[in-house]
Amino acid sequence: MKSVSFLTDFYYKNLFPTLEKLESDRKSLRHKIIFIAITYTAIFAVIAYTLGNFYEFIILAYIALGAIIYRFLVHDYTHEFKMSVIKPLIHAIDSSLLYSSATHISEYLFEHSKLFSDLDKMSGNDYVKGQIDGINIQFSDIHAQKKNQNSKGKDTWSTIFQGLFIVADFNKHFNGETVVLPDTAQSTFGDVIGHWLQANNASRDELVKMDDPEFEKEFVVYSTDQIEARYILSHSLMKKLLDFKHKSKQSVYISFIGTHIYMAISYDKDLFEPSIFHSLLDYKVAMEYVKTLHLAIGVVEELKLNQKLWSKV
Amino acid sequence: MSVTIIVLIAITLILVLMYNSLVAKKNQVENIFASVDTVLKKRYDLIPNLVASVSKYMEHEKSLLEEVTKLRAEATKPDISDAHKIALDAKISSALGSIMVAVENYPELKANENVMHLQHTLHEVEEQISAARRAYNQSVTDYNNAIEMLPTSFMASLMNYRRKQVFEIALSERKNIDVKELFN
Repeated sequence: MKSVSFLTDFYYKNLFPTLEKLESDRKSLRHKIIFIAITYTAIFAVIAYTLGNFYEFIILAYIALGAIIYRFLVHDYTHEFKMSVIKPLIHAIDSSLLYSSATHISEYLFEHSKLFSDLDKMSGNDYVKGQIDGINIQFSDIHAQKKNQNSKGKDTWSTIFQGLFIVADFNKHFNGETVVLPDTAQSTFGDVIGHWLQANNASRDELVKMDDPEFEKEFVVYSTDQIEARYILSHSLMKKLLDFKHKSKQSVYISFIGTHIYMAISYDKDLFEPSIFHSLLDYKVAMEYVKTLHLAIGVVEELKLNQKLWSKV
Repeated sequence: MSVTIIVLIAITLILVLMYNSLVAKKNQVENIFASVDTVLKKRYDLIPNLVASVSKYMEHEKSLLEEVTKLRAEATKPDISDAHKIALDAKISSALGSIMVAVENYPELKANENVMHLQHTLHEVEEQISAARRAYNQSVTDYNNAIEMLPTSFMASLMNYRRKQVFEIALSERKNIDVKELFN
């Protein structure tokens, strides 16, 4: 696995000509967006002023139409960026990986992971699939939503999960279902009440108390099989998952179902999108692309998924 | 009058809940111990095979092999107590560990495919045993907590529930592998 510093070098050295070209595209695009935004706002202000009524409707139309125009404006630039920056970066890590900028992990896999329930709508992009050290891995950016009805009977959408969703082969064989979630109850309500709430969570399987205090503090484990959960979550895997969580600095959801490990790392934004108002040569911007990709593809090595055990043929 | 009835019903309800939770904890321990037993048996089944394949080469460790065979015979006897089983398991674990270390001194053995296969299977079974042990220990801790903590402790002493023993987990199992040590 290539290191983060290798990838950063690759970004600044090999991709530099492309970045320079994109950077000039970005600047002219930014000017265009600012100019159109001002004109657009002015037109709407005039319409609102002449009508003198229907303000609610006008604001709604302003936002909706504005979003469509914005998306239309950045479309070409986004595509260009993904094909000439994100794709080469992924291939620099492993040339056998396949990348598709428009598709995402299938809804079936997302629901099969048992990590989130009540899925009504799912979107996403930046799908990567391939083999690392003989282990099948796929991941993509995901935005999963559910439909709610407010008191007026109107439909509203709320986010169940947004971020990176990874599916990989797991190196142990098991029959049950084990789910590892961030421990919110115990950290909000304290040990006693939080634990009681977790033990009585009707939507989940049996609570499994783990014997690693640090892991137990960060995560809560539910499983159909008390012994199997501990067989999967050995002391060393618990430690690796903790390290992974600390490295990603985000909430991490993990499940072990069928022959797979599912991981959802929550970010509050769409990943791998080109920056429009910051320079592409900005170190922070570059590091974000590199680190996120490195984290996702590095799962195989980080969790030692490539060390197959005897029982799994 | 009605207040007395409500209070009586409430007290009965609390007592029933306490009783049920204690029984559930006791059954959970027994249930998991049955699984521990299954994986322990898996390991006992491997022992004769292992002893047969290594005894030809291991002249100096004859006593070690004999001891493992003896321990296995004792552990597979019917009607031995859970506590006794737990004690025997610890002895077998350490004896098997010593055999595996001794194997390292015999290049012919290390290269033997049969021994290699046995070693891998044994390693896999050890992982399963470790998981089962950890599950058992947690259920015993829950049970022990319930019979010693208020308010269930009164009921537990009436029901004549006693503390149960946990598996001692060998220190070596808990330690993470030190890479430096491997190269020394």
